[in-house]
Amino acid sequence: MERISTVNERKLFLTLDILLIPVLVILFMGVFSFHFALTVGDWDYWIDWRDRRWWPLVTPLSLIVLPGVFGYLLWDKLRWPLGGTITILGLSSAAWVSRVWNFEIFAGFPLNMVTPSTYVGLGLMLDATLVITKSFMVTGLFGGFLFGFLIYPLNWPIIAPYHLPIEMDGTLMTVADVMGYEYIRTAIPEYVRIIESSTLRTFGEAVVPLTAVFAGFLTVLTYYLWVWVGYLTSKPTWIKKIV
Amino acid sequence: MTEMSMEKAVVAPWKLFATVLGVVGCIFLLYRWYQHEMAFSVGLDYFEPEFQTYWMNLMYTQLTILTIGGAAFMGWLWFTREKEAVLEISREEEVSRYLKFLGLLSVFSLLVWLSTSLYAEADAAWHQVTVRDTDFTPTHIPLFYFALPCMIIAGCSLFVWGHTRLPDLYGRISLPFAMTVGGPILIMPNVGFNEWGHTFFYAEELFAAPIHWGFVLLGWSIFFVGGFLMQIIKRIHDLVDGNTELQHMNNVEPLNAPSYGYDVKKAS
Repeated sequence: MERISTVNERKLFLTLDILLIPVLVILFMGVFSFHFALTVGDWDYWIDWRDRRWWPLVTPLSLIVLPGVFGYLLWDKLRWPLGGTITILGLSSAAWVSRVWNFEIFAGFPLNMVTPSTYVGLGLMLDATLVITKSFMVTGLFGGFLFGFLIYPLNWPIIAPYHLPIEMDGTLMTVADVMGYEYIRTAIPEYVRIIESSTLRTFGEAVVPLTAVFAGFLTVLTYYLWVWVGYLTSKPTWIKKIV
Repeated sequence: MTEMSMEKAVVAPWKLFATVLGVVGCIFLLYRWYQHEMAFSVGLDYFEPEFQTYWMNLMYTQLTILTIGGAAFMGWLWFTREKEAVLEISREEEVSRYLKFLGLLSVFSLLVWLSTSLYAEADAAWHQVTVRDTDFTPTHIPLFYFALPCMIIAGCSLFVWGHTRLPDLYGRISLPFAMTVGGPILIMPNVGFNEWGHTFFYAEELFAAPIHWGFVLLGWSIFFVGGFLMQIIKRIHDLVDGNTELQHMNNVEPLNAPSYGYDVKKAS
């Protein structure tokens, strides 16, 4: 027969929740921010780095890691379908604090040049797919694909104003380019301009959708890898000694 | 109420947690303020006497304090351990220790965020507007020689505290816990590689560059916190159910018997 929790036990469970949830959320803020900064970093820091070929491809590959790893932990062990949403919310919170304190206040860049992209919608979609289907396999196939596919359209309202054409000293550029030239950095995105002059340019208007589909495909594949890593890291393994 | 139910309420030491978190937060806030005031005024050139006064002296001081303080604290934790007496504590006391442990884990979490996000990205922003002249800059000194060591000391202290004060961890080692604190320790030696690489073959400061991926790999070790949380939840679940027996001490089952894994489906 199932035992009913006493008042003391319920208080204990509440205390555990109050302690555990901040531990996890703050940890996600730190770990995700560190991982994302060192794999996507510059693409997300600067408005003139968010090109249409590499940024939408690199970002989901890195962004899916924690939703996969901790999505497994939270869903399989605790039945919380929140892995994507909470981890990405942690990343976004940490990113905003850092952009304001470090990039704007400390280094002096205008905030609209270093505004973080938005990704929370992707986490919500991944978790919604998981809670509806209750299957990591189907979540990877549909949620994973949409996760990679929709990065660019989700951020389009943020980026669009910076892609307006502007003429400066007789040269046609975007607003983002002008900001990049005005605020000299040690890591200006010259590679973006080199790629834009390559043969891929012949795809014309199809560049973004083409990249989005490829990003969706790669995210499907990598989602399973990270769920597997989540399975490995959430194993409660004991050892007798370290060495 | 059944025989097995918790008779006494177990209360977490909230004041202690708030005090520790407040002190840590204030120290890092003050340091951030100092960095903001001194980085561009006296921190642009390592070879200026002002840099030695305001930055290098700060680094020597903080490293001395952290080395001595960290070693003394961990030594104190080790030499005041209860040894086998830890196996005799009451169920309520054990639950209470878990709450204290989770509170301390939140301090570790805070230090992870402060180090790997707030202080690390100050370095990212700094490198975009200045060119490094040596390995010691106004963002490296707070990050590599203050924040990261603080995080490592907190992680190691937690590890020692847990394995000497919690009966379930007595006589064995939690592999996911070891991985969670072990990765951040190895970040420090990786700083050596990072600086060496920046000196010899990679002067640029793209944050997403391959030279930084060693940090990423070591940061991933914190993914193992999930396995450790499962061990904690499993034990608390057992304690609440009145199952206080430490089976690993009686050698009645293998070290990693399936029953050690917390299974939400079975539990519910």
